[in-house]
Amino acid sequence: MERVFAAISGDFETYGAVEKEGEVLFDRVHSLAEVSENRSRYAPKEFLIRRNENVLYLEEQQRKAVFGIKSCDLKGFYLMDRQILNRDPFYTERRNKTLFVNYVCNTPCEGGFCSSFGGPVLDEFDIQVLREGNDYHIMASDKYDKYFNGCRNDDGSYFTDFKRKFNTEMPPLKVDGLESRIKWNSPIWKEFASRCISCGACNYSCPTCYCFDLYDDGDERKREWDSCVLSGFTSSSAGNIRNGLDERLRQRFYHKFVYFKKSKDEFLCTGCNRCVEDCPVGIDIKEVITHDYSNE
Amino acid sequence: MVTVSRRIDEAPEIYTLELGAKNEGKSGQFYMLSVQGVGEAPISVASGFGRNLIFTIRSIGSVTSRAMGEGRIGVRGPYGSKWPWKEYNEIVAVAGGIGIPPIRSLIEEMIDAKREGDIELMYGARSPSDIVYKKEINEWMKSVDVHLTVDRGDDRWNGKVGFVPTLLKDSHFSRKAAMFVIGPPLMMKNTVKEAVSLGYREDRIFISLERRMECGIGVCGHCNVGHRYACEDGPIFNYSEVMTEPELFL
Repeated sequence: MERVFAAISGDFETYGAVEKEGEVLFDRVHSLAEVSENRSRYAPKEFLIRRNENVLYLEEQQRKAVFGIKSCDLKGFYLMDRQILNRDPFYTERRNKTLFVNYVCNTPCEGGFCSSFGGPVLDEFDIQVLREGNDYHIMASDKYDKYFNGCRNDDGSYFTDFKRKFNTEMPPLKVDGLESRIKWNSPIWKEFASRCISCGACNYSCPTCYCFDLYDDGDERKREWDSCVLSGFTSSSAGNIRNGLDERLRQRFYHKFVYFKKSKDEFLCTGCNRCVEDCPVGIDIKEVITHDYSNE
Repeated sequence: MVTVSRRIDEAPEIYTLELGAKNEGKSGQFYMLSVQGVGEAPISVASGFGRNLIFTIRSIGSVTSRAMGEGRIGVRGPYGSKWPWKEYNEIVAVAGGIGIPPIRSLIEEMIDAKREGDIELMYGARSPSDIVYKKEINEWMKSVDVHLTVDRGDDRWNGKVGFVPTLLKDSHFSRKAAMFVIGPPLMMKNTVKEAVSLGYREDRIFISLERRMECGIGVCGHCNVGHRYACEDGPIFNYSEVMTEPELFL
């Protein structure tokens, strides 16, 4: 696999998840040995959507290879693709020039529920790695098969067996039909609103949230990650369609479990649990999935 | 950046900008106008396709109330869906307040296509001085059936007084006519309700929805109407497709 890394680094700038001062973050790497198997503190959304950048110019991007992105975080990009690829020129330029080597978790993480959304073995990937010590099980998409040059012979059956075992350790939540089970007038939105402090951490930590704000800053026009739970998100000259915090929280979950499902036939959630981990008041997206709406 | 060639004060807080460029958008579509250092705002195009680019704007936000009309402004677009006037033989266009510009664009396109006999205009403003396009309306009256109303009259007003929905029953067209509705949320809500009760078909009613829009191309996520984005799937929607959306009107 180091040989594969060397071949890829001939064509791409190489980045990887690395351990630094007790945190895992993404940085330049020059060998596979540097890449951590642990999940990064933050979803590496910034490889494709910068937190803040000037949109008046789009510079040609370097080709980058990112090693060690976890499946839940990578899946976020595949979901975003369905709405913004080939629409958002900044995302598209970077997406087309970035190769992701995703690491499949060997065991469930605490609180995670990726198996509910088809993880941690993804159906779509560039190069997918299941690492067990020094053994690498690899699936490569046709586009990147060339880097393996006959040294790879996994037919995917290993992954199928692994997935079966993983699902017994992380039983999938019942998400089928959630888009029609969920209720607009459920008391759950007001209950969440009674605790929510509108900090936006759920949006910023989410590997699927793509919304951004545009504003002028002197000579620059900037885009910046935005949050649908902030009150200004929908204010316009006609008024604000979502004045209430309960309405804005409902929007967040409806986008994930109803609207995106209707328009793209996918749930806009990867089960990473990052929004739960970063929420200061303990709002748990899993409750939206498991809540009994039948009598509401 | 495009040069502003003329500025016209239409009514209190409402002005029209004529730009030194041609309109490449169809009626119902919008452009993002910007003032550098201030920001951008989505504004519907007020002129017909191929004519000079015209916008009529209400001073309300940081972009629309500052610096507009002086020198050059940023223009990108056109974006969004258009009034589907070519698909219908009879069109009742209903506008309230500052909803009139996209209807002006529509009327100009129908005049250019020599179809001005196929459209009726129902337009209401708060008071006679709030009526926009007084000069244009007088021109249109020569060939277009125009019905006006105001919420409150004044000493010189001898026309109708009442809200916009009260005009609908004055239409000379059949109930199979298409209806294009644009204006403040409450006006649209009541107009659509009245139209349906008069027997207009829900799938022939088209509404233009106003939402906070920032990108105009379906990526920034601000303007959703249920699972659709107003900037891309709208702003013109077939009413029957969105009527069950709980966040339809404010």
